[in-house]
Amino acid sequence: MTLARSADHRLVGNRVLLTLLVAAVASSTLLPFASLSANRLTSGQPVMLWQALAEWQLAALALIGLALLVAALARPLPRRRALWLSLIATLVLLGLDFLALGGYAHRALVDASAAARVSQGATFWILLLVSALIAIDALQRLHLGLVKRALFGAAALVVIGACFSGDLLSPLSIMREFANQKENFVDQLIRHLLLVAGALIPALVIGLPLGLLANRRDSLRNGLFSVLNVFQTLPSIAVFGLLIAPLSALGRAVPWLGDLGVSGIGVAPAIIALVLYSLLPIVRNTYSGLAGVSPGTLEAARGMGMTSRQILWQVEIPLALPVILSGLRIVTVQAIGLVVVAALIGAGGFGAFIFQGLGQYAIDLVLLGAIPTIVLAVIADFALQILVTLSRPPGTR
Amino acid sequence: MIELKGLTKTYAGQNVVDDVSLTLDTGEFGVLIGPSGCGKSTTLKMINRLVPLSSGRIILNGDDVTELPVEQLRRRIGYAIQSTGLFPHWSVAQNIATVPQLLKWSKSRIDDRVDELMALFHLDATEFRHKYPHQLSGGQAQRVGVARALAADPEVLLMDEPFGAVDPITREVLQAEMRRVHQQTGKTIVFVTHDMDEALQLATRIALLNGGKLVQYDRPIELMVKPDNDFVREFIGQADLGLKLLSRRWVQQYQREPSLEHQATFPGLDHRWILDDAGRPVALEGARLDDDHQRTEVKPEWTATPEMSMKEALSRMVWYRVMVLPVVDEAGKLIAEIGMQGVMGIQAEDGTQGS
Repeated sequence: MTLARSADHRLVGNRVLLTLLVAAVASSTLLPFASLSANRLTSGQPVMLWQALAEWQLAALALIGLALLVAALARPLPRRRALWLSLIATLVLLGLDFLALGGYAHRALVDASAAARVSQGATFWILLLVSALIAIDALQRLHLGLVKRALFGAAALVVIGACFSGDLLSPLSIMREFANQKENFVDQLIRHLLLVAGALIPALVIGLPLGLLANRRDSLRNGLFSVLNVFQTLPSIAVFGLLIAPLSALGRAVPWLGDLGVSGIGVAPAIIALVLYSLLPIVRNTYSGLAGVSPGTLEAARGMGMTSRQILWQVEIPLALPVILSGLRIVTVQAIGLVVVAALIGAGGFGAFIFQGLGQYAIDLVLLGAIPTIVLAVIADFALQILVTLSRPPGTR
Repeated sequence: MIELKGLTKTYAGQNVVDDVSLTLDTGEFGVLIGPSGCGKSTTLKMINRLVPLSSGRIILNGDDVTELPVEQLRRRIGYAIQSTGLFPHWSVAQNIATVPQLLKWSKSRIDDRVDELMALFHLDATEFRHKYPHQLSGGQAQRVGVARALAADPEVLLMDEPFGAVDPITREVLQAEMRRVHQQTGKTIVFVTHDMDEALQLATRIALLNGGKLVQYDRPIELMVKPDNDFVREFIGQADLGLKLLSRRWVQQYQREPSLEHQATFPGLDHRWILDDAGRPVALEGARLDDDHQRTEVKPEWTATPEMSMKEALSRMVWYRVMVLPVVDEAGKLIAEIGMQGVMGIQAEDGTQGS
């Protein structure tokens, strides 16, 4: 009823889209799209959108804006068609954003000095963010299934991949930092992932049984959660600091541990801290997933003669799995972020670029660490979200 | 056969079930009833050892239940509960197959059994086999729950207020279905409820408990006609006693040959049925207080079936203002009639109970 009324009387069909569009237009007129600087350390001159873009790109951008405006209005397009239009427009906007930046960098650097750098500006980021938000909003409103969502995600990845595949973006400052760090980058990526895995696997091995224990022994539950809560409240840098003394002592006292790399700084304290941070979400979600299995289901299972082991594996774990995996999703994303801080104590990972960049005041080197971290977190989040959905009982997805 | 001998359950020094002894023969439909906290559910759960007994014995077909391995015992006993306890992540067919799976039946045997049970509960296999519990209505879920409890052909079926959470209309349908399933399978059933009407509908034996003690254990009609004490009388309720009695009587016990010629319905009234070529009743002539020769068109709403309770039959007579109802078979053919004499408990003189 409200839908029908809004279609009849309201001018705007999709307020979120309109707001995002206004934000994009405002930033395009007020904030720089790129910046040009003499070398990698000086701050650059702002370059506005209309200065940076070729004429056809400006025309294309205007067309996209127009399409999104039409999609935001209640008429003439029907609701679903408008959402699909906005979805497609975001893909084009995404591609155009990269294309424009790369094209500008190529043109600007033709007769500049070899040290000159082109960096992306606020408007570039805002257009990227706006297209992501429009897409997320449209996907939610369309109630698309998992497969269609994944297909759209893949399409976005193809667009981004195409932009990165050729020479288009190579003159950009951040890509030159990447070129300088290429081998190092892959190393740090692997290191980052190993640190995350190295933290999550022990956290699961310890956390899952603890969650089960919390579910089975009421008397232990409160104490267990209090202890885990304390870990969660400690600031990560403080934990790294606290671990230096005992771990270096341990490394010295037990030579074979020292040979394994246990010392006050490096991988060992990083992994210990990450495990401590990961425990609470895993234990809590395991506990509440198991506690969420209805007592009637358990009573029926027992009454029909299932053994405790059969009930655990055939009933409780399958039913608790979506909640347990949600916990894993939280800690995975959290660990990907926390590993950055662990670079401070020499554990490596993308954080190494960030702190190196901060030290040199080379913002693009900072971004070279920060952006892949964000991308990793988003990919992990999306993948685990799919796993959570798949783990739900059939028919309730 | 189930025998409870001096069954007692003590919680914190208090006997919630206190020295209960009774015997339920094979094929009987036993109902445990009483006010809340009377120990009826606890008694039921001691049979499949979900609640350990404090003292006394429970003998199931000659075996002391405490001497059997607990999982093995439970697989011999069907168990259906109010919340159904269906596994939300398993399809209807998988749910029904739970105990046969545990007993490691062959796949084809399990499939056949699932089909058989779905047919017994009038659940269309092609439609329901692959549905999940959350896609079922309350009544359908409860049918699947009972089908699951019956899957491995248990020696006894325990039901803990199974129809307590469904709406009144569905409950009546399920009760009728349960009575039919009991008649078809001849299962020994122990059923817990707090609803006297439900107990009178279903039971062949009623055990009334109060404060953990067995107050009276008898056939439903005996319980009504010969209550042992005031508690029993009060629990059954003084109101509607006659109607309660009628809810335990079935049309087939009182039906008589239908009259196709004019015949006395009641002193001063007579009637006859007019049939179509297929033998289905079309109209009733007479049997109306206002006009003895009035023709009344027969409608499905005021026909009776042999399995109908006399209470329902009386209700239809009153509502549709007729002194006699046609009794029809499944094809709608007239096989007998039921009149006011039947309501009063007078059986047909010639001994015929329809055909």
